[in-house]
Amino acid sequence: MSGTLAQPVAALINEFSKLPTIGPKTAARLVFHLLNRPRHEAQALADAIMAMKDKVRFCTSCFSLTENDPCAICSDDRRDAQTFCVVAEAKDIFAIERADIYRGRYHVLCGLISPMDGVGPADLRVKELLERIGRERPTEIIIATNPNAEGEATAMYLSRLLTPLGPRITRLASGLPIGGDLDYADEVTIARALEGRRTMDH
Amino acid sequence: MRLERIVLANFRNFSSLEYQASSGLNLFLGANAQGKTNLLEALAMLGTGKSFRTTSEGELIRHEIPVASVSGEARVRAGTVSVSCVIAKGPRGITKRYTLNGSAVRYAGYLGNLRVVAFVPSDLSLVDGPPSGRRRFLNEALAQDDPTYYHALARYRKTLAQKAALLRGSVTSDEELLAIYDAALIEHGTKLMMARAQFVRDVARYAGEVHARWTGGAERLEVRYRPDAACEVITADAIGSALAERLRSRAAAERLREAPLVGPQRDDLDLLLDGSSLGSFGSQGQRRTAVLALKVAEYQVMRDRCGEAPLLLLDDVLSELDATRAGAFLSGLGEIEQGFITATSLPPGIGPMRSIEIVAGQLRENG
Repeated sequence: MSGTLAQPVAALINEFSKLPTIGPKTAARLVFHLLNRPRHEAQALADAIMAMKDKVRFCTSCFSLTENDPCAICSDDRRDAQTFCVVAEAKDIFAIERADIYRGRYHVLCGLISPMDGVGPADLRVKELLERIGRERPTEIIIATNPNAEGEATAMYLSRLLTPLGPRITRLASGLPIGGDLDYADEVTIARALEGRRTMDH
Repeated sequence: MRLERIVLANFRNFSSLEYQASSGLNLFLGANAQGKTNLLEALAMLGTGKSFRTTSEGELIRHEIPVASVSGEARVRAGTVSVSCVIAKGPRGITKRYTLNGSAVRYAGYLGNLRVVAFVPSDLSLVDGPPSGRRRFLNEALAQDDPTYYHALARYRKTLAQKAALLRGSVTSDEELLAIYDAALIEHGTKLMMARAQFVRDVARYAGEVHARWTGGAERLEVRYRPDAACEVITADAIGSALAERLRSRAAAERLREAPLVGPQRDDLDLLLDGSSLGSFGSQGQRRTAVLALKVAEYQVMRDRCGEAPLLLLDDVLSELDATRAGAFLSGLGEIEQGFITATSLPPGIGPMRSIEIVAGQLRENG
Protein backbone atom coordinates (compact mmCIF):
# COMPACT_ATOMS: atom_id res chain seq x y z
CA MET A 1 0.00 0.00 0.00
CA SER A 2 2.72 2.45 1.03
CA GLY A 3 4.33 2.20 -2.42
CA THR A 4 1.41 3.88 -4.13
CA LEU A 5 0.96 6.61 -1.50
CA ALA A 6 2.88 9.89 -1.39
CA GLN A 7 5.70 9.35 1.11
CA PRO A 8 4.56 12.02 3.64
CA VAL A 9 1.08 10.45 3.73
CA ALA A 10 2.51 6.98 4.29
CA ALA A 11 4.85 8.33 6.97
CA LEU A 12 1.99 9.93 8.92
CA ILE A 13 -0.15 6.78 8.64
CA ASN A 14 2.78 4.85 10.05
CA GLU A 15 3.16 7.30 12.98
CA PHE A 16 -0.55 7.23 13.83
CA SER A 17 -0.72 3.44 13.74
CA LYS A 18 1.88 3.28 16.54
CA LEU A 19 -0.68 4.86 18.92
CA PRO A 20 -2.72 2.64 21.24
CA THR A 21 -6.07 1.36 19.89
CA ILE A 22 -5.24 2.70 16.41
CA GLY A 23 -4.70 0.19 13.61
CA PRO A 24 -3.58 0.89 10.06
CA LYS A 25 -7.14 1.46 8.81
CA THR A 26 -8.03 4.03 11.45
CA ALA A 27 -4.65 5.68 10.93
CA ALA A 28 -5.38 6.06 7.19
CA ARG A 29 -8.80 7.54 7.98
CA LEU A 30 -7.27 10.13 10.29
CA VAL A 31 -4.64 11.07 7.73
CA PHE A 32 -7.10 11.48 4.87
CA HIS A 33 -9.34 13.53 7.16
CA LEU A 34 -6.43 15.86 7.96
CA LEU A 35 -5.52 16.14 4.27
CA ASN A 36 -8.94 17.64 3.62
CA ARG A 37 -8.80 20.12 6.50
CA PRO A 38 -7.38 23.65 6.26
CA ARG A 39 -3.71 24.19 7.01
CA HIS A 40 -4.27 26.02 10.31
CA GLU A 41 -6.07 23.03 11.82
CA ALA A 42 -3.16 20.74 11.07
CA GLN A 43 -0.82 23.39 12.48
CA ALA A 44 -2.90 23.60 15.68
CA LEU A 45 -2.65 19.83 16.12
CA ALA A 46 1.09 19.81 15.51
CA ASP A 47 1.59 22.74 17.90
CA ALA A 48 -0.53 21.12 20.59
CA ILE A 49 1.50 17.93 20.41
CA MET A 50 4.83 19.76 20.62
CA ALA A 51 3.62 22.08 23.40
CA MET A 52 2.54 19.04 25.38
CA LYS A 53 6.02 17.52 25.00
CA ASP A 54 7.92 20.76 25.70
CA LYS A 55 5.91 22.25 28.55
CA VAL A 56 4.52 19.31 30.50
CA ARG A 57 6.59 17.80 33.29
CA PHE A 58 6.13 15.86 36.50
CA CYS A 59 4.93 17.72 39.57
CA THR A 60 7.80 17.31 42.05
CA SER A 61 5.34 16.76 44.87
CA CYS A 62 2.71 14.32 43.52
CA PHE A 63 4.26 13.25 40.15
CA SER A 64 1.17 14.18 38.22
CA LEU A 65 1.67 15.86 34.84
CA THR A 66 1.69 19.63 34.99
CA GLU A 67 2.77 22.79 33.25
CA ASN A 68 3.58 24.57 36.50
CA ASP A 69 5.43 22.91 39.35
CA PRO A 70 3.87 22.25 41.86
CA CYS A 71 0.72 21.27 39.97
CA ALA A 72 -2.66 23.00 40.24
CA ILE A 73 -3.95 20.41 42.71
CA CYS A 74 -0.89 20.48 45.00
CA SER A 75 -0.90 24.29 45.07
CA ASP A 76 -4.67 24.62 45.69
CA ASP A 77 -5.05 25.61 49.37
CA ARG A 78 -8.76 24.84 49.35
CA ARG A 79 -8.01 21.14 48.89
CA ASP A 80 -7.58 18.89 51.91
CA ALA A 81 -3.85 18.41 52.44
CA GLN A 82 -4.50 15.67 55.03
CA THR A 83 -5.79 13.11 52.51
CA PHE A 84 -3.76 11.48 49.74
CA CYS A 85 -5.22 9.41 46.95
CA VAL A 86 -2.60 7.05 45.51
CA VAL A 87 -3.06 6.21 41.81
CA ALA A 88 -1.01 4.24 39.28
CA GLU A 89 -0.96 6.78 36.46
CA ALA A 90 -1.62 10.48 35.99
CA LYS A 91 -4.60 9.64 33.78
CA ASP A 92 -6.32 8.07 36.79
CA ILE A 93 -6.42 11.53 38.39
CA PHE A 94 -8.54 12.78 35.53
CA ALA A 95 -10.94 9.86 35.96
CA ILE A 96 -11.37 10.63 39.68
CA GLU A 97 -11.58 14.40 39.16
CA ARG A 98 -14.40 13.86 36.65
CA ALA A 99 -16.56 12.60 39.53
CA ASP A 100 -16.00 16.01 41.21
CA ILE A 101 -16.29 14.65 44.73
CA TYR A 102 -12.74 14.09 45.98
CA ARG A 103 -11.17 17.15 47.59
CA GLY A 104 -7.83 15.82 48.74
CA ARG A 105 -4.42 15.53 47.13
CA TYR A 106 -2.96 12.81 44.90
CA HIS A 107 0.19 10.79 44.58
CA VAL A 108 1.06 9.11 41.28
CA LEU A 109 3.11 5.89 41.52
CA CYS A 110 4.00 5.95 37.79
CA GLY A 111 3.22 2.24 37.36
CA LEU A 112 2.30 -0.89 39.33
CA ILE A 113 4.46 -3.58 40.87
CA SER A 114 5.07 -6.36 38.32
CA PRO A 115 8.30 -8.37 38.64
CA MET A 116 7.43 -10.13 35.34
CA ASP A 117 7.89 -6.78 33.63
CA GLY A 118 10.90 -5.90 35.73
CA VAL A 119 8.98 -3.38 37.85
CA GLY A 120 9.58 -3.57 41.59
CA PRO A 121 8.70 -1.11 44.37
CA ALA A 122 12.02 0.68 43.82
CA ASP A 123 10.97 1.53 40.26
CA LEU A 124 7.86 3.38 41.46
CA ARG A 125 7.45 6.67 43.33
CA VAL A 126 7.16 4.82 46.63
CA LYS A 127 10.22 6.37 48.28
CA GLU A 128 8.85 9.81 47.40
CA LEU A 129 5.48 8.85 48.92
CA LEU A 130 7.18 7.84 52.17
CA GLU A 131 9.10 11.13 52.28
CA ARG A 132 5.93 13.05 51.59
CA ILE A 133 4.06 11.26 54.38
CA GLY A 134 6.91 12.13 56.79
CA ARG A 135 6.78 15.77 55.70
CA GLU A 136 3.06 16.43 55.25
CA ARG A 137 1.59 14.03 57.86
CA PRO A 138 -1.66 13.03 56.13
CA THR A 139 -4.41 11.38 58.21
CA GLU A 140 -5.80 9.17 55.44
CA ILE A 141 -4.33 7.49 52.38
CA ILE A 142 -6.78 6.12 49.81
CA ILE A 143 -5.27 3.47 47.57
CA ALA A 144 -6.99 3.74 44.19
CA THR A 145 -5.10 1.23 42.03
CA ASN A 146 -7.14 -0.90 39.61
CA PRO A 147 -8.72 -4.11 41.00
CA ASN A 148 -6.59 -6.36 38.74
CA ALA A 149 -3.77 -8.65 39.87
CA GLU A 150 -1.02 -5.98 39.77
CA GLY A 151 -3.25 -3.29 41.27
CA GLU A 152 -4.23 -5.54 44.18
CA ALA A 153 -0.66 -6.62 44.87
CA THR A 154 0.53 -3.00 44.81
CA ALA A 155 -2.32 -1.98 47.14
CA MET A 156 -1.42 -4.76 49.59
CA TYR A 157 2.23 -3.80 49.49
CA LEU A 158 1.51 -0.13 50.19
CA SER A 159 -0.94 -0.98 52.95
CA ARG A 160 1.67 -3.07 54.80
CA LEU A 161 4.31 -0.43 54.25
CA LEU A 162 2.24 2.60 55.23
CA THR A 163 0.09 1.33 58.11
CA PRO A 164 2.95 1.55 60.67
CA LEU A 165 3.43 5.22 59.75
CA GLY A 166 0.10 6.18 61.31
CA PRO A 167 -2.38 7.31 58.67
CA ARG A 168 -5.61 5.43 58.06
CA ILE A 169 -5.19 3.31 54.91
CA THR A 170 -8.29 2.75 52.78
CA ARG A 171 -8.95 1.04 49.48
CA LEU A 172 -11.54 1.94 46.83
CA ALA A 173 -14.57 -0.38 47.01
CA SER A 174 -15.33 -2.96 44.29
CA GLY A 175 -18.83 -4.01 43.39
CA LEU A 176 -21.90 -3.42 41.30
CA PRO A 177 -21.90 -0.57 38.79
CA ILE A 178 -24.46 2.14 39.42
CA GLY A 179 -27.41 1.94 37.03
CA GLY A 180 -26.50 -1.65 36.20
CA ASP A 181 -28.74 -4.66 36.59
CA LEU A 182 -27.90 -7.37 39.07
CA ASP A 183 -28.66 -10.08 36.51
CA TYR A 184 -26.16 -8.62 34.05
CA ALA A 185 -23.30 -8.49 36.53
CA ASP A 186 -20.76 -11.30 36.23
CA GLU A 187 -20.30 -13.80 39.04
CA VAL A 188 -16.94 -12.42 40.15
CA THR A 189 -18.32 -8.89 40.51
CA ILE A 190 -21.30 -10.16 42.49
CA ALA A 191 -19.03 -12.19 44.76
CA ARG A 192 -16.93 -9.06 45.43
CA ALA A 193 -20.03 -6.95 46.00
CA LEU A 194 -21.26 -9.45 48.59
CA GLU A 195 -17.90 -9.49 50.38
CA GLY A 196 -17.92 -5.69 50.46
CA ARG A 197 -21.54 -5.29 51.57
CA ARG A 198 -22.25 -2.71 54.24
CA THR A 199 -24.84 -1.94 56.87
CA MET A 200 -27.43 0.56 55.69
CA ASP A 201 -27.67 3.68 57.80
CA HIS A 202 -30.72 5.88 57.72
CA MET B 1 -28.98 -28.54 26.29
CA ARG B 2 -29.30 -28.90 22.57
CA LEU B 3 -27.27 -27.24 19.87
CA GLU B 4 -29.50 -26.28 16.96
CA ARG B 5 -27.05 -24.77 14.55
CA ILE B 6 -23.33 -24.23 14.18
CA VAL B 7 -21.83 -21.85 11.62
CA LEU B 8 -18.12 -21.73 10.76
CA ALA B 9 -16.36 -19.18 8.61
CA ASN B 10 -12.77 -19.54 7.47
CA PHE B 11 -12.12 -21.99 10.32
CA ARG B 12 -9.28 -24.50 9.65
CA ASN B 13 -10.25 -26.28 6.40
CA PHE B 14 -13.86 -25.01 6.37
CA SER B 15 -14.27 -21.90 4.24
CA SER B 16 -17.87 -21.76 5.30
CA LEU B 17 -20.12 -24.29 6.89
CA GLU B 18 -23.54 -24.34 8.37
CA TYR B 19 -24.86 -27.41 10.11
CA GLN B 20 -28.34 -27.92 11.57
CA ALA B 21 -27.76 -30.34 14.41
CA SER B 22 -30.27 -32.99 15.36
CA SER B 23 -30.97 -34.18 18.86
CA GLY B 24 -29.51 -37.51 19.90
CA LEU B 25 -26.35 -38.62 18.15
CA ASN B 26 -24.88 -36.76 15.16
CA LEU B 27 -22.46 -39.02 13.36
CA PHE B 28 -19.75 -37.63 11.06
CA LEU B 29 -17.91 -40.07 8.83
CA GLY B 30 -14.93 -39.36 6.64
CA ALA B 31 -11.44 -40.41 5.69
CA ASN B 32 -8.50 -38.91 7.57
CA ALA B 33 -7.59 -35.23 7.04
CA GLN B 34 -11.03 -34.19 5.73
CA GLY B 35 -11.95 -32.01 8.72
CA LYS B 36 -13.70 -34.30 11.22
CA THR B 37 -11.59 -33.27 14.20
CA ASN B 38 -11.70 -29.63 13.04
CA LEU B 39 -15.48 -29.70 13.31
CA LEU B 40 -15.33 -31.23 16.78
CA GLU B 41 -12.73 -28.66 17.80
CA ALA B 42 -15.12 -25.89 16.69
CA LEU B 43 -17.97 -27.48 18.65
CA ALA B 44 -15.79 -27.59 21.76
CA MET B 45 -14.92 -23.91 21.30
CA LEU B 46 -18.60 -23.05 21.66
CA GLY B 47 -18.29 -24.19 25.26
CA THR B 48 -14.70 -23.53 26.26
CA GLY B 49 -13.73 -20.68 23.91
CA LYS B 50 -10.41 -22.31 23.14
CA SER B 51 -8.95 -25.12 21.11
CA PHE B 52 -8.47 -28.56 22.62
CA ARG B 53 -5.62 -29.22 20.21
CA THR B 54 -3.39 -26.21 20.02
CA THR B 55 -2.28 -23.14 21.89
CA SER B 56 -1.11 -21.36 18.71
CA GLU B 57 -4.53 -20.20 17.70
CA GLY B 58 -3.32 -18.71 14.41
CA GLU B 59 -3.63 -22.28 13.11
CA LEU B 60 -7.40 -21.99 13.43
CA ILE B 61 -7.56 -19.35 10.72
CA ARG B 62 -7.88 -20.80 7.23
CA HIS B 63 -6.04 -18.81 4.61
CA GLU B 64 -4.87 -15.27 4.01
CA ILE B 65 -8.21 -13.85 5.17
CA PRO B 66 -7.17 -13.01 8.73
CA VAL B 67 -10.46 -13.72 10.54
CA ALA B 68 -12.15 -16.98 11.48
CA SER B 69 -15.36 -17.44 13.41
CA VAL B 70 -17.39 -20.11 15.16
CA SER B 71 -20.98 -19.41 16.17
CA GLY B 72 -23.74 -21.54 17.54
CA GLU B 73 -27.34 -21.36 18.62
CA ALA B 74 -28.64 -23.65 21.28
CA ARG B 75 -31.70 -24.39 23.27
CA VAL B 76 -31.00 -24.56 27.00
CA ARG B 77 -33.31 -24.94 29.96
CA ALA B 78 -33.55 -21.18 30.37
CA GLY B 79 -34.43 -20.55 26.72
CA THR B 80 -32.26 -20.01 23.68
CA VAL B 81 -28.69 -18.84 23.69
CA SER B 82 -26.36 -17.83 20.89
CA VAL B 83 -22.60 -17.59 21.27
CA SER B 84 -19.81 -16.75 18.90
CA CYS B 85 -16.07 -16.61 19.00
CA VAL B 86 -14.07 -14.61 16.45
CA ILE B 87 -10.36 -15.27 16.04
CA ALA B 88 -8.46 -12.52 14.24
CA LYS B 89 -4.85 -12.16 13.20
CA GLY B 90 -3.64 -8.59 13.54
CA PRO B 91 -0.33 -6.71 13.60
CA ARG B 92 -0.17 -7.32 17.35
CA GLY B 93 -0.84 -11.06 17.20
CA ILE B 94 -3.95 -13.19 17.61
CA THR B 95 -6.98 -11.70 19.30
CA LYS B 96 -10.24 -13.39 20.19
CA ARG B 97 -13.59 -11.71 20.67
CA TYR B 98 -16.60 -13.34 22.24
CA THR B 99 -20.27 -12.55 21.97
CA LEU B 100 -23.22 -13.85 23.93
CA ASN B 101 -26.69 -13.28 22.45
CA GLY B 102 -25.26 -10.66 20.13
CA SER B 103 -23.41 -8.57 22.74
CA ALA B 104 -19.68 -8.56 23.26
CA VAL B 105 -18.64 -10.30 26.47
CA ARG B 106 -15.38 -11.08 28.17
CA TYR B 107 -14.04 -14.61 28.16
CA ALA B 108 -15.37 -15.22 31.66
CA GLY B 109 -18.86 -14.24 30.50
CA TYR B 110 -18.64 -16.56 27.48
CA LEU B 111 -17.40 -19.65 29.26
CA GLY B 112 -19.93 -22.25 30.25
CA ASN B 113 -23.04 -20.90 28.50
CA LEU B 114 -22.86 -24.05 26.44
CA ARG B 115 -21.14 -26.89 28.24
CA VAL B 116 -19.22 -29.57 26.46
CA VAL B 117 -17.52 -32.78 27.48
CA ALA B 118 -15.01 -33.73 24.80
CA PHE B 119 -13.33 -37.10 24.58
CA VAL B 120 -10.42 -37.24 22.16
CA PRO B 121 -7.86 -40.00 21.54
CA SER B 122 -5.15 -38.16 23.50
CA ASP B 123 -7.35 -38.42 26.62
CA LEU B 124 -6.32 -42.07 26.77
CA SER B 125 -3.10 -40.76 28.32
CA LEU B 126 -5.01 -39.47 31.36
CA VAL B 127 -3.95 -42.63 33.21
CA ASP B 128 -0.32 -42.99 32.20
CA GLY B 129 0.53 -39.50 30.96
CA PRO B 130 2.05 -36.62 32.95
CA PRO B 131 0.14 -34.91 35.80
CA SER B 132 -0.37 -31.77 33.67
CA GLY B 133 -2.95 -33.66 31.58
CA ARG B 134 -4.89 -34.61 34.69
CA ARG B 135 -4.83 -31.00 35.94
CA ARG B 136 -6.09 -29.86 32.53
CA PHE B 137 -8.93 -32.39 32.87
CA LEU B 138 -9.90 -30.74 36.17
CA ASN B 139 -9.46 -27.16 34.95
CA GLU B 140 -11.46 -27.57 31.76
CA ALA B 141 -14.45 -29.09 33.52
CA LEU B 142 -14.38 -26.69 36.47
CA ALA B 143 -13.90 -23.52 34.42
CA GLN B 144 -17.03 -24.34 32.43
CA ASP B 145 -18.91 -25.21 35.59
CA ASP B 146 -18.04 -22.11 37.59
CA PRO B 147 -16.81 -18.77 36.21
CA THR B 148 -15.35 -17.86 39.59
CA TYR B 149 -13.10 -20.93 39.27
CA TYR B 150 -11.77 -19.58 36.01
CA HIS B 151 -11.21 -16.18 37.61
CA ALA B 152 -9.33 -17.73 40.54
CA LEU B 153 -7.24 -19.81 38.10
CA ALA B 154 -6.30 -16.78 36.00
CA ARG B 155 -5.39 -14.76 39.11
CA TYR B 156 -3.47 -17.68 40.57
CA ARG B 157 -1.38 -18.16 37.44
CA LYS B 158 -0.65 -14.46 37.12
CA THR B 159 0.41 -14.24 40.75
CA LEU B 160 2.54 -17.36 40.41
CA ALA B 161 4.33 -15.85 37.40
CA GLN B 162 4.96 -12.65 39.41
CA LYS B 163 6.33 -14.63 42.33
CA ALA B 164 8.54 -16.68 39.97
CA ALA B 165 9.94 -13.46 38.49
CA LEU B 166 10.59 -12.09 41.98
CA LEU B 167 12.38 -15.29 43.07
CA ARG B 168 14.49 -15.20 39.90
CA GLY B 169 15.57 -11.73 40.94
CA SER B 170 14.10 -9.65 38.10
CA VAL B 171 13.59 -6.89 40.65
CA THR B 172 15.23 -6.25 44.00
CA SER B 173 14.10 -9.03 46.29
CA ASP B 174 11.70 -7.89 48.93
CA GLU B 175 10.33 -9.98 51.83
CA GLU B 176 7.16 -7.89 52.09
CA LEU B 177 6.38 -8.38 48.42
CA LEU B 178 7.00 -12.12 48.61
CA ALA B 179 4.57 -12.33 51.54
CA ILE B 180 1.93 -10.48 49.52
CA TYR B 181 2.24 -12.85 46.59
CA ASP B 182 2.06 -15.82 48.98
CA ALA B 183 -1.11 -14.38 50.54
CA ALA B 184 -2.70 -14.02 47.08
CA LEU B 185 -1.59 -17.56 46.15
CA ILE B 186 -3.24 -18.87 49.32
CA GLU B 187 -6.44 -16.95 48.61
CA HIS B 188 -6.86 -18.10 44.99
CA GLY B 189 -5.16 -21.48 45.48
CA THR B 190 -7.59 -22.40 48.27
CA LYS B 191 -10.47 -21.76 45.94
CA LEU B 192 -8.94 -23.99 43.24
CA MET B 193 -8.11 -26.81 45.63
CA MET B 194 -11.51 -26.69 47.28
CA ALA B 195 -13.30 -26.91 43.92
CA ARG B 196 -10.99 -29.69 42.73
CA ALA B 197 -11.50 -31.71 45.91
CA GLN B 198 -15.28 -31.51 45.60
CA PHE B 199 -15.22 -32.29 41.88
CA VAL B 200 -12.97 -35.32 42.29
CA ARG B 201 -15.13 -36.59 45.15
CA ASP B 202 -18.17 -36.53 42.80
CA VAL B 203 -16.24 -37.95 39.83
CA ALA B 204 -14.81 -40.74 41.99
CA ARG B 205 -18.26 -41.89 43.03
CA TYR B 206 -19.62 -42.13 39.46
CA ALA B 207 -16.40 -43.60 38.06
CA GLY B 208 -16.33 -46.27 40.78
CA GLU B 209 -19.97 -47.20 40.16
CA VAL B 210 -19.77 -47.49 36.40
CA HIS B 211 -16.46 -49.31 36.58
CA ALA B 212 -17.86 -51.86 39.02
CA ARG B 213 -20.81 -52.43 36.69
CA TRP B 214 -18.53 -53.00 33.71
CA THR B 215 -16.22 -55.40 35.49
CA GLY B 216 -19.03 -57.20 37.29
CA GLY B 217 -17.58 -55.99 40.59
CA ALA B 218 -14.35 -57.93 40.01
CA GLU B 219 -12.15 -54.83 40.14
CA ARG B 220 -12.42 -51.64 42.16
CA LEU B 221 -11.47 -48.27 40.62
CA GLU B 222 -10.58 -45.44 42.96
CA VAL B 223 -9.98 -41.85 41.91
CA ARG B 224 -8.29 -39.71 44.52
CA TYR B 225 -7.35 -36.08 44.53
CA ARG B 226 -3.72 -35.66 45.55
CA PRO B 227 -3.30 -31.98 46.41
CA ASP B 228 0.18 -30.56 46.78
CA ALA B 229 -0.81 -29.48 50.29
CA ALA B 230 -2.77 -32.35 51.80
CA CYS B 231 -5.34 -31.89 54.51
CA GLU B 232 -7.89 -34.03 56.31
CA VAL B 233 -11.13 -32.18 55.66
CA ILE B 234 -12.42 -30.22 52.68
CA THR B 235 -13.09 -26.80 54.13
CA ALA B 236 -11.69 -23.49 52.97
CA ASP B 237 -10.03 -22.93 56.35
CA ALA B 238 -8.35 -26.34 56.44
CA ILE B 239 -7.09 -26.08 52.85
CA GLY B 240 -5.94 -22.49 53.35
CA SER B 241 -3.90 -23.33 56.42
CA ALA B 242 -2.44 -26.48 54.85
CA LEU B 243 -1.31 -24.41 51.87
CA ALA B 244 0.08 -21.66 54.10
CA GLU B 245 1.98 -24.24 56.18
CA ARG B 246 3.47 -25.83 53.10
CA LEU B 247 4.54 -22.45 51.70
CA ARG B 248 6.24 -21.74 55.04
CA SER B 249 8.04 -25.05 55.14
CA ARG B 250 9.32 -24.72 51.57
CA ALA B 251 10.14 -21.01 51.68
CA ALA B 252 13.89 -21.55 52.07
CA ALA B 253 13.97 -24.12 49.25
CA GLU B 254 12.03 -21.77 46.97
CA ARG B 255 14.61 -19.04 47.55
CA LEU B 256 17.48 -21.43 46.98
CA ARG B 257 16.03 -22.85 43.78
CA GLU B 258 14.71 -19.42 42.70
CA ALA B 259 11.35 -20.91 41.72
CA PRO B 260 7.93 -21.50 43.30
CA LEU B 261 7.72 -25.10 44.51
CA VAL B 262 4.34 -25.22 46.23
CA GLY B 263 0.69 -25.09 45.24
CA PRO B 264 -2.12 -26.45 43.07
CA GLN B 265 0.07 -26.22 39.96
CA ARG B 266 1.60 -29.42 41.40
CA ASP B 267 -1.66 -31.23 42.18
CA ASP B 268 -2.36 -34.65 40.72
CA LEU B 269 -4.97 -37.39 40.64
CA ASP B 270 -4.28 -40.90 41.82
CA LEU B 271 -5.98 -43.62 39.80
CA LEU B 272 -5.93 -46.90 41.66
CA LEU B 273 -7.16 -50.32 40.71
CA ASP B 274 -7.70 -52.53 43.77
CA GLY B 275 -5.31 -50.25 45.60
CA SER B 276 -2.43 -50.28 43.07
CA SER B 277 -1.50 -47.48 40.75
CA LEU B 278 -3.04 -48.02 37.32
CA GLY B 279 -0.35 -45.99 35.61
CA SER B 280 2.36 -48.34 36.88
CA PHE B 281 0.62 -51.71 37.10
CA GLY B 282 -2.51 -51.66 34.94
CA SER B 283 -2.73 -53.55 31.65
CA GLN B 284 -3.53 -51.66 28.47
CA GLY B 285 -7.16 -52.82 28.69
CA GLN B 286 -7.49 -51.88 32.36
CA ARG B 287 -6.15 -48.39 31.72
CA ARG B 288 -8.50 -47.88 28.82
CA THR B 289 -11.51 -48.98 30.88
CA ALA B 290 -10.48 -46.57 33.65
CA VAL B 291 -10.30 -43.61 31.22
CA LEU B 292 -13.76 -44.47 29.87
CA ALA B 293 -15.09 -44.57 33.44
CA LEU B 294 -13.47 -41.21 34.16
CA LYS B 295 -15.08 -39.64 31.09
CA VAL B 296 -18.50 -41.11 31.87
CA ALA B 297 -18.15 -39.70 35.39
CA GLU B 298 -17.17 -36.26 34.09
CA TYR B 299 -20.27 -36.26 31.89
CA GLN B 300 -22.51 -37.29 34.78
CA VAL B 301 -21.07 -34.73 37.19
CA MET B 302 -21.43 -31.95 34.61
CA ARG B 303 -25.02 -33.01 34.06
CA ASP B 304 -25.77 -33.04 37.81
CA ARG B 305 -24.19 -29.66 38.34
CA CYS B 306 -25.86 -27.70 35.59
CA GLY B 307 -29.15 -29.58 35.73
CA GLU B 308 -29.05 -30.58 32.06
CA ALA B 309 -26.80 -32.73 29.93
CA PRO B 310 -23.75 -31.08 28.34
CA LEU B 311 -22.95 -31.62 24.65
CA LEU B 312 -20.99 -34.83 24.25
CA LEU B 313 -18.13 -34.75 21.72
CA LEU B 314 -16.39 -37.99 20.80
CA ASP B 315 -13.50 -37.65 18.37
CA ASP B 316 -12.68 -40.99 16.81
CA VAL B 317 -12.50 -42.71 20.20
CA LEU B 318 -15.14 -45.36 19.65
CA SER B 319 -13.18 -46.76 16.71
CA GLU B 320 -10.36 -47.53 19.09
CA LEU B 321 -12.59 -49.72 21.23
CA ASP B 322 -14.01 -53.17 20.67
CA ALA B 323 -17.79 -53.46 20.29
CA THR B 324 -18.31 -54.56 23.91
CA ARG B 325 -16.39 -51.65 25.41
CA ALA B 326 -17.92 -49.12 23.01
CA GLY B 327 -21.42 -50.33 23.82
CA ALA B 328 -20.71 -50.33 27.55
CA PHE B 329 -19.30 -46.81 27.33
CA LEU B 330 -22.32 -45.42 25.51
CA SER B 331 -24.79 -47.08 27.84
CA GLY B 332 -22.75 -45.88 30.84
CA LEU B 333 -23.44 -42.32 29.77
CA GLY B 334 -27.16 -42.89 30.23
CA GLU B 335 -29.53 -40.97 28.05
CA ILE B 336 -27.50 -38.71 25.79
CA GLU B 337 -29.45 -35.60 24.97
CA GLN B 338 -27.10 -34.70 22.16
CA GLY B 339 -23.78 -36.04 21.01
CA PHE B 340 -21.37 -35.48 18.12
CA ILE B 341 -19.28 -38.43 17.03
CA THR B 342 -16.59 -38.67 14.38
CA ALA B 343 -15.24 -41.87 12.89
CA THR B 344 -13.75 -43.21 9.68
CA SER B 345 -16.50 -45.82 9.42
CA LEU B 346 -19.56 -46.75 11.45
CA PRO B 347 -18.04 -47.23 14.91
CA PRO B 348 -18.73 -50.23 17.11
CA GLY B 349 -21.52 -49.82 19.63
CA ILE B 350 -23.74 -47.79 17.32
CA GLY B 351 -26.48 -49.30 15.19
CA PRO B 352 -27.04 -48.14 11.60
CA MET B 353 -28.05 -44.49 11.64
CA ARG B 354 -28.19 -41.35 9.56
CA SER B 355 -24.69 -39.93 9.12
CA ILE B 356 -23.00 -36.93 7.60
CA GLU B 357 -20.00 -37.41 5.38
CA ILE B 358 -17.12 -34.94 5.60
CA VAL B 359 -15.04 -34.60 2.45
CA ALA B 360 -12.44 -31.84 2.11
CA GLY B 361 -14.23 -29.39 4.39
CA GLN B 362 -17.70 -30.03 2.93
CA LEU B 363 -20.62 -31.85 4.53
CA ARG B 364 -22.77 -34.34 2.66
CA GLU B 365 -25.91 -35.94 4.01
CA ASN B 366 -25.89 -39.73 3.73
CA GLY B 367 -29.64 -40.12 4.33
